[in-house]
Amino acid sequence: MTLANNPYRPYVGTLVGVRDLATDIKMFQVELDDPQEKAGFTYRPGQFACVSAFGVGEAPFGLTSTVGRGSTLEFAVNKVGTVTNALHRLGEGDVIGVRGPFGNWFPLDEMKGKHVILLGGGIGGAPLRPIIHTILDQRADYGRLTILWAARLPSLLIFTDEFDAWRAVPDTELHLTVDQGDGAWTGNVGLITALLENVAPAPENAVTVTCGPPVMIKATLLALARLGFAPDQMIVTLEAKMTCGMGKCGRCNLGDKFVCTDGPVFSYAEISRFLESF
Amino acid sequence: MSEANGTMNMTTRDDVAAWLDGLSSRLTLIAPRAVEGQVLYRPVAGSAEIAFDFGKADLPVKEYFLPSTHVLFSVEKDKEGLRVEEPALEEERVVFGLRPCDARALRILDALFLKEPVDPYYARRREKTTLIGLACREMGAECFCTSLGLAPDDASDVDLMLTEVGKGGKGYAVQVVTRKGEAVLGGLRLEEVEGTIWAGWKACPTSEKTPILETEAWPQHFGHVYWARLADRCLSCRVCTYVCPTCRCFDVRDYETSQGSIERLQAWDSCMAEGYRRIAGGHNPRPTKAERLRNRFYCKFCYYPQDFGPLACVGCGRCIARCPVNVDIVEVLEHVAWLGQRPARAGERGSRGAGESIMKGGR
Repeated sequence: MTLANNPYRPYVGTLVGVRDLATDIKMFQVELDDPQEKAGFTYRPGQFACVSAFGVGEAPFGLTSTVGRGSTLEFAVNKVGTVTNALHRLGEGDVIGVRGPFGNWFPLDEMKGKHVILLGGGIGGAPLRPIIHTILDQRADYGRLTILWAARLPSLLIFTDEFDAWRAVPDTELHLTVDQGDGAWTGNVGLITALLENVAPAPENAVTVTCGPPVMIKATLLALARLGFAPDQMIVTLEAKMTCGMGKCGRCNLGDKFVCTDGPVFSYAEISRFLESF
Repeated sequence: MSEANGTMNMTTRDDVAAWLDGLSSRLTLIAPRAVEGQVLYRPVAGSAEIAFDFGKADLPVKEYFLPSTHVLFSVEKDKEGLRVEEPALEEERVVFGLRPCDARALRILDALFLKEPVDPYYARRREKTTLIGLACREMGAECFCTSLGLAPDDASDVDLMLTEVGKGGKGYAVQVVTRKGEAVLGGLRLEEVEGTIWAGWKACPTSEKTPILETEAWPQHFGHVYWARLADRCLSCRVCTYVCPTCRCFDVRDYETSQGSIERLQAWDSCMAEGYRRIAGGHNPRPTKAERLRNRFYCKFCYYPQDFGPLACVGCGRCIARCPVNVDIVEVLEHVAWLGQRPARAGERGSRGAGESIMKGGR
């Protein structure tokens, strides 16, 4: 039996690359098997998809790849639960499922001409990578790019192999910090909020995008407000354990909003009107 | 309640029984049936198995449209690779004896499941099912449908409506509401008589305690200490969501069958569960019973109407009847209305919105 337009049915894809990004964090590169489905899977920076480890389950992940850079879908997966553990056991050539894309996206058109400040905490940097890609690929369309990249430990920083490429782009700064250093670490030690206060980006004609654990997002928004950023200049992308991805299962509600369909991208102006805290 | 030109189509219980026997011989007939002291909607082989005289089924018909567990698809692995197969889908069915509240609940679920992207499993079950309503003769002790704009003889959400008329309830007035209802009418002997359809239903004391549904004011009571007090006695047993005809939260899980194939199951879930809203990494935006219980009531009266249109409550009162600690949805409605009518006392109002609590540096 085949139902037309069954939104619960995943596309079948094959892993074409799996590599370590950080301790317990792997990058999964997927090519959808069906050429039509592959061609039809268009998405925008900030959207997410539900990835199946068949036999174990499905979980939502932000797409960390960018449409203009090829058909390979990329997901950065932190090993924390049953589905992510199962995904971590898979390797090149293994088959997975992908449903999506779901959710809204970053307002990259409105960000054109503005300075962009990205604040990524741990695995929360993954959905910000498509913004970096987009700005790097259309460099003249955007102002200064300031990336604040943080993790608990140096071994948990993601996309370290891309740092040099980011730094090499004109008008781009990358600032790193870790909560706790190790023997080899010579960079900043401290929370992203302290780093933010040091870098002190100017709010004039600027947009900030923050992603990370909820406690980091909350502290960062406060620090940005202290620097003079207005609520509509602060964009966040939120996390929830979306089951269906399309506003039906009820699992990701924040008051009358669903992270899956109203988000995951929200401005602080929107969040401050929510009844419930995220 | 009344048909044009003052006539109505009447039939007898014996004729209804014969007609249902005919229906059950050619399609699946789901009807109220006495099962170990309860009345439940069950597939029946014929009219002899039907409980005609019942108040309200102990559980709604929700499970026939959103089953407690069902297979979304199975995955077979073989040499050629991996095949995703959807299960065989339901064929034509008739639900007999649907009460107006339970019929309204389906309309409320439609607003969510038939919204784009349409849930194809739910849509198929709705499409293939004809609903035959049976008006209530009296409201039960916990019923408050009349407070929510419904009535025990409301025919607007079924395909065909039967209303017992006259003392002893031996005769039914039959109203055709939709073409689908008309299509299953064949074989039912009808007699056109003069009169007006009136079930003569009796209101119950609860229904007189009309909850004041000024839910626009609810957001300002979100941080009130009332929710925590109410939740003090909540056991998080989830029975309210289980018996609710409009609660629809679900989870999706994979299971491996003994044959080695994989089934992806959709199953009921409950926002009352502790880990329901927890995210990867352990953060939980609704860590206590207070937030979870509050979420259920706000979902019913604020969020669902905001997102999908209708209130997510039909006044069936099953949650009141089943709650082991007497959390009473009518009392909640009344209490919140009362909060709006008097000034807040010191210490009553906690943190309100997310924005406010962030700015205060709170959780």
